[in-house]
Amino acid sequence: MSTLNSVGHPTSRIDAVKRVTGTATYTGDLRLEGMLYARVLRSPHPHARIRRVDLSKAQSLPGVKAILTRENCDIVWGSGDTRNKRYLFNNPVRFVGDAVAAVAAIDRHTAEEATRLIEVEYEPLPFVLEPEDALKSDAPEIQPGGNLSPNNQGKREPEVYRRGNIDEGLRAADHVFEEQYSSAHINNAQLEPRVAIAQWQGGRLTVYASTQGISNCHTEIARDLGLKPEQVRVVCQFMGGGFGNKNQCHDFDLMAAMLAKQAGAPVKLEFTRKEDFIAVHGRWPTKQYYKIGVRNDGTLTAIQLRGYSGMGPYRKGAGGIGGIEIYQCAHVERAVHPVYTNKAVSANLRGPDYPQGVFGLESLIDDIAYKLQMDPVEFRLKNMTRKFLDQTPYTSIGLEDCLRRGAEAFEWKKRWNPAPGSAPGPLKRGAGMGMGSFVSSLGRSSAVIDLDSQGMYHVHVGVTDVGTAAKTTMALIAAESLGVPLERINIIWGDTDRCPYSVGESGSRTTTHTGYAVMEAAKDLKKQLAEKGMPKGTDMLTATANTNPTIPGVARYSFVAHFAEVEVDTDLGHVRVTKYVAAHDSGRVVNPLTATSQVKGGATMGIGMALHEELLYDRASGQPLTAGYYGARVMTHRDTPEIEVVWVETEEPYGPYGAKTLGEPTIIPSVAAVANAIYNAIGKRVKDLPITRDKILGVLA
Amino acid sequence: MKSFANVNARDVKDAVNKLREPNAVVVGGGSDLLGMVKDHLVQPDVLVNLKTIRGLDQIAAKGPEIHIGGQITLDTLSHNSMIRGDYTVLAEAAESVATPQIRNAGTLAGNVCQRPWCWYYRNNFPCFKNGGSKCFSITGENQFHAIFGGGPSFIVHPSDTAPALVALDAKFRVAGPSGERTLAAADFFALPKVNAARENVLGKDEILVSVSLPKTAKGTRSTYHKVLDREAWTHAVVSAAMVLEMDQQVCKRARIVLGGVAPIPWRLQKVEAILAGQQITPELAAKAGEAAVEGANPLAKNRYKVPLTRNLVRRTLLEMVA
Repeated sequence: MSTLNSVGHPTSRIDAVKRVTGTATYTGDLRLEGMLYARVLRSPHPHARIRRVDLSKAQSLPGVKAILTRENCDIVWGSGDTRNKRYLFNNPVRFVGDAVAAVAAIDRHTAEEATRLIEVEYEPLPFVLEPEDALKSDAPEIQPGGNLSPNNQGKREPEVYRRGNIDEGLRAADHVFEEQYSSAHINNAQLEPRVAIAQWQGGRLTVYASTQGISNCHTEIARDLGLKPEQVRVVCQFMGGGFGNKNQCHDFDLMAAMLAKQAGAPVKLEFTRKEDFIAVHGRWPTKQYYKIGVRNDGTLTAIQLRGYSGMGPYRKGAGGIGGIEIYQCAHVERAVHPVYTNKAVSANLRGPDYPQGVFGLESLIDDIAYKLQMDPVEFRLKNMTRKFLDQTPYTSIGLEDCLRRGAEAFEWKKRWNPAPGSAPGPLKRGAGMGMGSFVSSLGRSSAVIDLDSQGMYHVHVGVTDVGTAAKTTMALIAAESLGVPLERINIIWGDTDRCPYSVGESGSRTTTHTGYAVMEAAKDLKKQLAEKGMPKGTDMLTATANTNPTIPGVARYSFVAHFAEVEVDTDLGHVRVTKYVAAHDSGRVVNPLTATSQVKGGATMGIGMALHEELLYDRASGQPLTAGYYGARVMTHRDTPEIEVVWVETEEPYGPYGAKTLGEPTIIPSVAAVANAIYNAIGKRVKDLPITRDKILGVLA
Repeated sequence: MKSFANVNARDVKDAVNKLREPNAVVVGGGSDLLGMVKDHLVQPDVLVNLKTIRGLDQIAAKGPEIHIGGQITLDTLSHNSMIRGDYTVLAEAAESVATPQIRNAGTLAGNVCQRPWCWYYRNNFPCFKNGGSKCFSITGENQFHAIFGGGPSFIVHPSDTAPALVALDAKFRVAGPSGERTLAAADFFALPKVNAARENVLGKDEILVSVSLPKTAKGTRSTYHKVLDREAWTHAVVSAAMVLEMDQQVCKRARIVLGGVAPIPWRLQKVEAILAGQQITPELAAKAGEAAVEGANPLAKNRYKVPLTRNLVRRTLLEMVA
């Protein structure tokens, strides 16, 4: 791989000093003149019809300036549900945390007190929490038409993928393995809770958001509020994370806007940490039933999955269960049922379909390898994907190198125990691994570069930088493309009045989509510079690129294999991750410093999902019990092992300098790697996430 | 969060007087109380601030005893050389609490008097602790609940320092409207069958002022082992506070108190009797482990606490004599 001048060199974030010295202005830090504070009243019931709302006491509390309920605000939150009309305030309420009213007042205490003075008469309705229970004939109906959410064609059928003939594949097998797995509702748990500030000036609305995508947030606010796009401005200068639940416009953006309109003053709406766990979506819980056929020589002949995903009462997310595409196999059938339940809503969380699906699939693949007395790494090398869905060639594939080089760096042969659980003594070590892939799309984005007479290049990109160092990535790509040092690049980001369209920072697309637009704008600018020379005085040279590359006939994917060693204290049921290696093919790595951090973050989230994170519900009442950092057992620094990153930089012909996707692959195989390592250590399989102490001591008993 | 007034106490007597105001509660570090106010678990009108009482955050040797002011922070306590040396179990217990931020603010008295972390209580279920007449854990999610001493409430006592103080045979000095009283640490805590709404005998107008530790006998060693569900910031799933008075290889006297298994710090007198006068061998430690879980009465989802407790007691004993 050729060496470049800027791209590929470890580079500190261009805003690092601001972020670590407290001078970065996050949305929650903003205070506008005359700004009011807002709080949301939420349903205490998992399912209830609202009979009556009495605002009189709340309205007469001094300092209350605006109150919204369904009575005076029937706005539909378009991206809150892709199948049903989801209002800002719904009746019936369908989960504990569903919004009932929002109040703006002169300060936080008054707003909160006012929400407590609102009298709501609820008629509790029967509720159901688990997806398979929700599909039973006597289950309460959560959305009109039934609890199986419609598929892409609007039919009440599961989402199905097939190739070959599953029965034929199972018949061709020497062994058929059948097993079931489950995964829990996990929260995104980003550090910055939800906040939005809305301000109307004349007929124009500015929303200071905490968003992963100013462009889609902008378009959707305009759509949902019936405004023209030019009447809306979205600003997000510093962003404190989202991991998929701050993309697009959110109900709180719209509530803040409507409260501000009613009150005639700017409004800041903030969520508490608890609200950030129950009123915002997390990862969908799943139940997975696998049937896998294999020949004596280890060749996969059939993979069948019947899965159920708990979506909460609104279809905000896809609800997929992914992973099967990492294997070559002639006969595949996957039927996934996205089901409405009365739990918190679930939708995108880093690699939405994958960590839970790969956990189930890779657990069973691991069992199969042991049964056939094959090394799990060898089994995967034999059966790994060669073409996407056994059909479409990949633009580049480094999966084999991820497996081989990852295993070597991990010292797999030394750490892996061919006889699981056989180590003497109460402290047992074991090694496990898993692999995955994630689409590395190319697609629509834009960039504008202005060159001034001082030789500064002002690069306008619609990124907000959700923690990935997107601003720095764009600066590196601009510097490389323009052939100038990084110091000559000034990034302008996070403001729809100053930045062109950019894809939302989701789907791991920013580097590949917007980075490509930056390259194209730079190309144009260099051409202009050659033709016109340097601008003089206050003149500028401006280059705009609106790009939408397509690559028909090929599949562009990133690949990953993770390796984990754990030590299980079998007396106490305690698990510690003692060694971790993550091998990634993301094509050329634009910034090895921040990319390495991203891998560590993803793997850490996966370890937490494997070992202790869960939004647990009380079955009798439908109340969440573990909302928040304490209860949900989110990873702490002390839980995080050293994570070694191995870069498998494939020669990728497409994308900016051959860069492929990274953000989401980082979590995909991590849960499976930890789960498989626990099996290797103790010789017993825990099939339900999270793999907590009670389950470990349970299987050992 | 409901508004409240903050009043600074000049001295203990002043604090007790101020506590007589309607709906007044004491506050030390506030690390838990303020969260409870925000969550509407308590809604005081007045917070009586004890941190302004001079000297109440000090450690002092008085004759053979060590006096520790209740307002000492957990961080200061855990780093005190006298405590680390002679009362290791207390230093280790204080050090195991929550996070550095909480240990910097949280006080010893606050930790001892901490309300339960049962998720039903903390999520405002109308349980015994919230003024109701039901324990929701019995038929609900009870994986962290009591295996000893439960009924009618099955909470576990959340404090790390409390088992250590009971194991050290500490004395608690309590002040109230009718003056001061001193009681043994073990007598401070109360089972739910005595009072299901509270975890100790402290009256509404009373304050835990300070604790005193008796001089440790020669050959005493102690430790606190805490099993956590992540490496920081959880309460004990099960913990063991052990104080052994050793004479060469022989254990002359033992005090063993468990956390995380019962609504109060759970003293294992039967285990102490098994160990007294014996050399702690692997066999004896195993016997002690078995005795530790005798009479355990687990609920549907906390059966794992039985082997966990048995193994923790056995292993901690062996590590102490290794």
